[in-house]
Amino acid sequence: MMQWAQELLKKVEATRSVRLEQPAPVLDSVQEGALLKQYHPDYLGHERKLAVGPNAGEEKFPLELAELLEGDSSLEPDTTPKVDIETDVLILGGGGAGATAALTLAESGLSVHLATKLRLGDSNTVMAEGGIQSALAENDSARRHFADALVGGHGENDPELLRILCEQGPESIRWLSQLGCLFEQNEDGRFRLRAGGGTSVPRVLACRDYTGLEIMRVLKDAVRLTSTHILEEHVAVELLDDGAGQVTGAILFDRIAGKRICVSARAVILATGGSGQIRLQGFPTSNHVGATGDGLVLAYRQGCRLIHLDSYQYHPSGACYPEALAGQLVTEAIRSIGAQVVNAEGVHFINEMAYRDVLAGAIIKEIAEGRGVKTPHGKTGVWLDTPMIDLKNGAGTLARQFPGLIHRFERYAIDPTKTPILIYPTLHYQNGGIRVDTQCRTDRVGLWACGEVTGGLHGKNRLMGNSLLDITVFGRRAAESVLGNLPERGASTLTNLERFRSEREKVEGLAQTRSPQFFPEASGMKLESCAVEEAPKEEAASQSFEPPNPFNF
Amino acid sequence: MAEKKVEIRISGKTIQAQAGETLIHAIWSAGMPESIKTGCAGGVCGACTVTLRYSDGRKGGTELACMKPVEAGMEVFPCPVDAEAPVEPVMEPDVRSLQAAFPTLNRCTKCGSCSTACPMSIPVMDSVLRMQKGEFSEVAEDFTTCIHCGLCRFVCEDKVKPHNMGLWVRRSLGMSRDLSIPHGENENTEKEWQYLMHTDRELRLQNARQFRQTGKVES
Repeated sequence: MMQWAQELLKKVEATRSVRLEQPAPVLDSVQEGALLKQYHPDYLGHERKLAVGPNAGEEKFPLELAELLEGDSSLEPDTTPKVDIETDVLILGGGGAGATAALTLAESGLSVHLATKLRLGDSNTVMAEGGIQSALAENDSARRHFADALVGGHGENDPELLRILCEQGPESIRWLSQLGCLFEQNEDGRFRLRAGGGTSVPRVLACRDYTGLEIMRVLKDAVRLTSTHILEEHVAVELLDDGAGQVTGAILFDRIAGKRICVSARAVILATGGSGQIRLQGFPTSNHVGATGDGLVLAYRQGCRLIHLDSYQYHPSGACYPEALAGQLVTEAIRSIGAQVVNAEGVHFINEMAYRDVLAGAIIKEIAEGRGVKTPHGKTGVWLDTPMIDLKNGAGTLARQFPGLIHRFERYAIDPTKTPILIYPTLHYQNGGIRVDTQCRTDRVGLWACGEVTGGLHGKNRLMGNSLLDITVFGRRAAESVLGNLPERGASTLTNLERFRSEREKVEGLAQTRSPQFFPEASGMKLESCAVEEAPKEEAASQSFEPPNPFNF
Repeated sequence: MAEKKVEIRISGKTIQAQAGETLIHAIWSAGMPESIKTGCAGGVCGACTVTLRYSDGRKGGTELACMKPVEAGMEVFPCPVDAEAPVEPVMEPDVRSLQAAFPTLNRCTKCGSCSTACPMSIPVMDSVLRMQKGEFSEVAEDFTTCIHCGLCRFVCEDKVKPHNMGLWVRRSLGMSRDLSIPHGENENTEKEWQYLMHTDRELRLQNARQFRQTGKVES
């Protein structure tokens, strides 16, 4: 395979022995700043101010997101909520943050509903590969973790939130381990710690390159053992409020039954995750299919401030070839143990353990200046020289530590232990989000938020391993804050939506976009917006499947 | 290369697909997203399980639609597998507690369907035999890459639940681990936080830059 690249591969092989010895260029902070400004997608001016809502007229938002935030609800103007389910706590989102919150509420005696538009666990969490950070090494501390993350985030991180994240690291590892997560250990029984981009000491715990899968499957199993009511394939369409500003529930769309249901709750926890599927500037994404930023839209209409949403993380190593894997994550841990980034000329053009935004910018620059490798599908990338790993660490290291990578590529007859793989930055993480306080409270009483949907914690660039820690620390914290501040049940109205709509009417020239988007439209995957008025049309067809022959495997 | 079209059938309906794309992309592009469950679209959530048949007589089998590229003449049948109610893991697991948690453990007739069905190439049947012998650390290793798509359970004629048992073993072993997790405090902790939490944004960043070099406040 990769016959088309035989000549190009020779150039990579030719420089390998030299690269093994020679260090790659390390940029100083001035050079990094210049590189980001010229090449990183965040800095290219694809953004504008909003015309409606709490952030109107202030900071800028990416164009694609701005359109969704200004969009109108898909509810008919005369919708009157009629309560179908009464619960104490409604969690929106079935990834790591939502599941963690549900677990934390399990012993509280409160009734808890968790709604997810996919299935429990189908999320960005399950796709996380590299690991989770926690200051456990002898020469490490929560303070050092904080310093690394603050520098990585360009000093924009909310220091209070970041301190909580770092201080709660070891306790979170204990909590996850007691649930049964098997993070890798050394022979002496201590956790094995890897370096990540921007960590000054090794701090990343992992379970091979399936760390998110390990955490998510354990959380999922544990949540299913609680009395949490799990509403799968229930899409959050709008939040409800009591008419005086307090959030009091949500309108959901049941994709299976094809009907809308109205949930009254004393507290709502938004754990809806990120928005990679809105494909800013046409970038590929490593995100799951539901990552369309719905929670941002819902909270914004309620009057919650959003922060740092001009900042997204483009993971430097998204797969670029084969086409079927385009955008999918190749974990940073691969770089931390020795795979180098190399251009078409075989030159190791930057130290691959630079911060993610810097490395992404450097890759885009190489390609812009004509030193990229073009695939038969018209995409361009640079090499990630994976065979270096075994050269540096001994034969078998790559296969042993990164079975996921091997498994995904072997289908295409590509063996990363022998052949480098092509990478290009992929839209990976929403750095900004809903503004929250240290108790995960948003600007609205009754509405909490945790995980990727929130902003502030990671500043303008997140370090590897800090999002799995984020969902654990703040998923628990949001739930604990709900327990301590649970409001009385309020009326179920759409007053905040009506207010937002009347604000929209005063603005001329707004796009007629309906939001949230629910499912991707911008990408190659074209599910139409899930209309709340009617059942999915393909439902009838899906009933008449020819059953598979169970004896024909 | 990118423009080549192939014809495939989804639940009996013929659609056009781009050569090189995955089944999931083809199904969504054809406007049939509701005909299949989709989750991560990256091979780790296990939502998009399908069975396949080929027109040229090759053996079909089970796959994840998000990982399988389209091929001309392929027939695809989405087969979602519902989750199974889990069983509470235990401290210090052994064969008896596993057997109590999963009474069908010994019903395995060694047909091998589970191993064939596994999209992650886990040696599922061998691992079930290891479970019967109580070789739990090997079992935990076997199921490291398990995405809980449920196909091994779905194809089992004897109601054995390999992936559920795999997770139960992993969780039980994990819970039983004796961990020493340092608290990370020292006599300088408060001083260091004051230094790093400086109220001026620029100084805070500058202090952090210094601190990450050595892990200490340099005076």
